[in-house]
Amino acid sequence: MTRRLPLSLNRFTLSNRRRQAAGIGAAVIALALVGTACSPVEPAGNSNSSGGSQAPAGQDVFGEPADAAQVKQGGTLTVALSADPDKLDPTLSRSLYSRYVFHTMCEKLYDLGPDAKVVPQLATALPTISADGLSLTIPLKQGVKFADGGTFDSNAVKISLNRGLTLAGSARKSELGPITSIETPDPKTVVIKLSKPFAPLTAALADRAGMVLSPAAVAKLGANFSNAPVCVGPFKFASRVAQNSIKVVKDPQYYDAAKVHLDAIEYRIITDSSIRSANLKSGDAQVADSLSTQDTPALQKDDSVSVLQSQSLGYQGLTINIGNANGIGNPLKSLGTPIAKDPRVRQALALSIDRDALVKSLFGGLNTVACSPVSPKSEFTSDAAQVCPAHDPAKAKQLLADAGVTTPYKVEMVTSNNPDSLRLAQALQGMVKEGGFDLVIKPVEYAALLDQQDRGDFELLQLGWSGRVDPDANIFNFVGTTGSQNVSGYSSPDVDKLLTDARQSTDQAERVKLYGEVVTKLQQDDPIIYMYRQRNLTGVSKKLLGIQVYPDGVIRTAFAGFAK
Amino acid sequence: MRRYLLNRLWQSLVTLVLATIVVFVGVRALPGDPALALAGEDRDPESLRAIRQQYGLDQSWLVQFWQFVSHAARGDLGQSIRTGAPVRGMILSALPVTIELSVLAILIAGVVGVGTGVVAAVRRGRPAEWAANALALLGLSVPHFWLGLMAILYLSVALGLFPASGFVPFFTNPIDNLHHLILPALILGTGLAAVIMRQTRSSMLDALGADYIRTAEAKGLSPRAVIGKHALRNSLIVVVTIVGLQLGALISGAVVTERIFALPGFGKLTVDAVFQRDYPVIQAVVLVTATAYIVINLLVDLLYSVIDPRIRVRGES
Repeated sequence: MTRRLPLSLNRFTLSNRRRQAAGIGAAVIALALVGTACSPVEPAGNSNSSGGSQAPAGQDVFGEPADAAQVKQGGTLTVALSADPDKLDPTLSRSLYSRYVFHTMCEKLYDLGPDAKVVPQLATALPTISADGLSLTIPLKQGVKFADGGTFDSNAVKISLNRGLTLAGSARKSELGPITSIETPDPKTVVIKLSKPFAPLTAALADRAGMVLSPAAVAKLGANFSNAPVCVGPFKFASRVAQNSIKVVKDPQYYDAAKVHLDAIEYRIITDSSIRSANLKSGDAQVADSLSTQDTPALQKDDSVSVLQSQSLGYQGLTINIGNANGIGNPLKSLGTPIAKDPRVRQALALSIDRDALVKSLFGGLNTVACSPVSPKSEFTSDAAQVCPAHDPAKAKQLLADAGVTTPYKVEMVTSNNPDSLRLAQALQGMVKEGGFDLVIKPVEYAALLDQQDRGDFELLQLGWSGRVDPDANIFNFVGTTGSQNVSGYSSPDVDKLLTDARQSTDQAERVKLYGEVVTKLQQDDPIIYMYRQRNLTGVSKKLLGIQVYPDGVIRTAFAGFAK
Repeated sequence: MRRYLLNRLWQSLVTLVLATIVVFVGVRALPGDPALALAGEDRDPESLRAIRQQYGLDQSWLVQFWQFVSHAARGDLGQSIRTGAPVRGMILSALPVTIELSVLAILIAGVVGVGTGVVAAVRRGRPAEWAANALALLGLSVPHFWLGLMAILYLSVALGLFPASGFVPFFTNPIDNLHHLILPALILGTGLAAVIMRQTRSSMLDALGADYIRTAEAKGLSPRAVIGKHALRNSLIVVVTIVGLQLGALISGAVVTERIFALPGFGKLTVDAVFQRDYPVIQAVVLVTATAYIVINLLVDLLYSVIDPRIRVRGES
């Protein structure tokens, strides 16, 4: 799964400049108008509100299931996708966008409901977990066929899970955790054995790790499964034109085929967000993902289009290089700069950022303020996890003085060179000046940014995370000492212990409490300064019924249909 | 002649090898790592290692280069790191789109450019010439992406005359194919049309002042015959040369046009591969392009040497 770009990679210079200029202007005006206090984070709940594109800012609009009586049979739906999915192999796939396509052709043991809770899909119930937490029993649906006619059973599940654990280059291995064996007492039951309890496993089975592949296709294609993927799903793979389009067609063998209205879905890759919205308006595409917050207001006024919104489970933030001087995976070593050594300097930077103004001026209030890696939409949220220190440049200056740093304190920020990231960087630059910082912007191309990040070649870096349902996946890897993406080089025995306890606990209340404590500690040390949560903005033609987007950001198109 | 042929073949081979080396090294000198670009959010040291191993990225450059060259010599261009699809298939499906788009753009540019060029020359000093010149200036100076965006906004979104994106292969439905391609071809052809217009105008002016035109007029031929049969025909020779010289510009213009209209062409393939650091695709694309250029050059040179033996003699000396 790719780090979600704050926006599409490629736009064109003229419109960029215009947007940048407009954005900076808006930021300056808004900054002058908006007060200094950091407003409370958007309240949780109030989700699943229905249809309509004129939802108040900050409110989720997930869309509704289609009413069969109002839907025509047949037709091809065109979805304008903002990025090309990578391999169409659930074991190897790493991009967010492949999940949009998988959703129509590869069902999972579990799925997410609109409230971000795990619900059964190819399983018939949530797993039964043994008292010691080391054994998960999953009951499976019966009478289900793969798109190639093969029968879905516990053996197929075993083969798929084993593939995730053993295939070279598998992206699922760490998600599946400490699995020791997979047993199949009968065709409709799978038992997963673990070496130690692993709470995030059920959520992982609601993503690609839980997709079940046709054993016949796996045997035939091996590591080339992505060239002709076969799973259980409302649609089956038809064709792919590299970097341009992917087509899936209705699968008559699907167990719930009666609920599928469309004949085919074509995913067309259009990386520029303004061209995506133009395609939506012209009717060449009926769905467009990742709308820009700048195009959205105009689309919301368009009578032929509605905009679905869901708050992402991830975040956008600033990562500070504390101990990643030698590159990730190597022994930690401090950069030796004041911001790397002294938490007070990092706190000062956090206090200099007016998140509220940022969200209002740059994103028209469509994104929401974030001060922690735990989304308010998560079941693991708590008051402690949502505390948001108020914007306080005076205090920031005081902290810098206490730390013995001369102001303006110059710090270099590496950021992606796309227009939205640059606008954000420029707004930040203006903001933190008041708190005593001189922010120098270093824009680099996305692939180079990832490289610099892992080599530890940065002081401050702006990137985000698309988010997972289980908070462990949003925190451990980034701030745990052994975390595979701890590019900050942060190491705190306290945080490590809290995270490990939370990871191994099966008690929900206990986990909620532990994550609250983690956030408190993170806000003192600030290895990552959390800034805002993106909203998944999806444009949908009003001719289409039944498109839904849940908090995981995946556009659910499988049971949609054209209005009669 | 045989010696000349061998000499030229040898030169072409050296050029091809040099191009291959430059691309191979150039791509790897770019900052960024394909394994990182592919792993994205899900990266951890183990999966990065596995990706590097799978695509031989953990081998030395020399080994990687040998692998690439030896496979390419057998017609195997490898697999895309990003999608796992065979690169040969990707190229074979993208090439016809770009060729069709370019041919259409040349046709449109030819008709528009020659037409306005003739008008400008014949109506010299009148408003028609002024208008044609202004149009040409616009065509040369307005960037493709802006024209493309405007065309989509006004012709696709507001008027609904043309599709804003997508592609239908010619043999699936020729009419649909043209309907999808005409707008991108028009945009792509604007720059070329302007160049052709300027060239046609100036060579027409030269021709119109030449003796043979005066003779033709003196013979009592109609103005239409004088302009069409005599002046225009002679002017077109230069225009054809210009079109040839502009082919490179056309292909680079296609990169932008293909991205705006989401056409599955060669340009889009190349740019996306560079962004994703998809080494096998970038290498193959450049190898194919270089080969095409070299073969065309070779053919042209051979043809020249057949037409004009002096070239052959100089080449041999």
